[in-house]
Amino acid sequence: MQNAKDSFYMTLRTRLTEINPQRTILVRGTVRPGILVEEAEAPFSQFPSDVFVLRWLGLAIDMDLASTMTGEQCEVVYQTCGTQSFGGLDRGRALSAMDEELMTMIKPFYAPKLNYAATPPAAMLTQVFWDEPVFSPIVTQRDRLSRSATVLVYSYQEQGE
Amino acid sequence: MAATWFSAPAPVARRVRAFFAPVNRAAQTPVLFDPSEQGRFSLDAPPAPWINLGWVQDFVRKSASKSAPLMTGIPAAPLEQVRETLEAQVSLQFLSWTKLTMGLATGSQHMNILAPANGAAPAADGAQASPAVIPQSGSTSTSIVLALADAAKFTPGAIIAVDVDYAGQTGYVGTPVAGAYLRQALTDVDYVRRVTFNVALVSQVTANGLTLAEPLPGGVPAMGAKVQTVTGFVDREGGSFYQEWSGLFVMEGSQGERIFFHYPRLQAMAGAEEAVSPLNQKNQGGHSRVLLKGQFLALPVTDPLDGERVACYRSFLPAANALV
Repeated sequence: MQNAKDSFYMTLRTRLTEINPQRTILVRGTVRPGILVEEAEAPFSQFPSDVFVLRWLGLAIDMDLASTMTGEQCEVVYQTCGTQSFGGLDRGRALSAMDEELMTMIKPFYAPKLNYAATPPAAMLTQVFWDEPVFSPIVTQRDRLSRSATVLVYSYQEQGE
Repeated sequence: MAATWFSAPAPVARRVRAFFAPVNRAAQTPVLFDPSEQGRFSLDAPPAPWINLGWVQDFVRKSASKSAPLMTGIPAAPLEQVRETLEAQVSLQFLSWTKLTMGLATGSQHMNILAPANGAAPAADGAQASPAVIPQSGSTSTSIVLALADAAKFTPGAIIAVDVDYAGQTGYVGTPVAGAYLRQALTDVDYVRRVTFNVALVSQVTANGLTLAEPLPGGVPAMGAKVQTVTGFVDREGGSFYQEWSGLFVMEGSQGERIFFHYPRLQAMAGAEEAVSPLNQKNQGGHSRVLLKGQFLALPVTDPLDGERVACYRSFLPAANALV
């Protein structure tokens, strides 16, 4: 299952760098694409703004198939206060831009499954695939707008996983 | 004092496991299941020649046999009952698409799409095939020995069909399972390999031949068999051939009890049909699983025990220490 999670994240990260290479974040002294996995970073007191944060939540499995299928629920959380140059008045536009980036990142709805524990990452036999994101309503906290989108990520367990 | 028995309620089971075995069409011999000798077999390793088709869902079996009273007297009252017709049906959904499940879930021939020859004219069943190659001696059910030049024609991940050339014969064709019935001679030398169930996936190609990921259903390639690449499968609505298999369905209860439904002769009774099942019931517009629907008519056999004609055997092996 970890390979599916890694593959989903790395796919979105690769696509984000093509869609908006300016969306970055400085993490532990390194500039990275602006998309993180919550469980792979130090705990946040508050989610960083203007980046996508992936949270892995629910898990469902179907063991009656020829290969066990897993469905992992991924919540993509993002928020923004707009830009300083506009005094935050562009926060609605900034959130819309992130909505559109996420919609673009998510397509096509599949990606090769790779084992990122290997160096270089090793291609596996099956693909990871997912449904359309289900977007939540915008949450407003003072000058901060946030939203989350939930995606069900499906994969098949391969031999040795 | 420790109890030595318990009173068992109705069995609690999850899905149904399906096993099929080929009926010898030419000899009209079904495969029998003996619950006394085979009842405790591992569901992951059924006794030969039963083939494990995994879990199925929406398994429904229906008796369509009809009885009628024999009336006598004034006013007429039933004196006896007589069985007017004997009929049973089975329907289910397969959870995978394989050569065998597709073959079972279609009402007619199920064909392999053979890799086409260069420049061949298009055809709905697949164009004229590229020439078959001949396995060398030493081939087994999992290893096909080939000449160096022949081995180079295959790649890992390819599917192969292994069967004899068509030589103008009529009647049932295909080894080890009859894949079609020919009433008149054809001209396609590859026809038997188009309908054969003797297919497997190539896992490795070496200078000496092919290593298969799974054994060929027909075992060691027969004398005169040849090998061709299969690119997919095709079936048709229509046709006059009916697949016939022996079927065994098993429900395993939570206490280890087992219910078997053994149909010695099952014939596909409907054309190819699919059922769509959403992966996420809360998102009906999302990904959906496409399931093969199988519908079968049970044909009777004569039970040698007492000469009765029957279509199905239901066996029950109770849980250990359960009162009966």
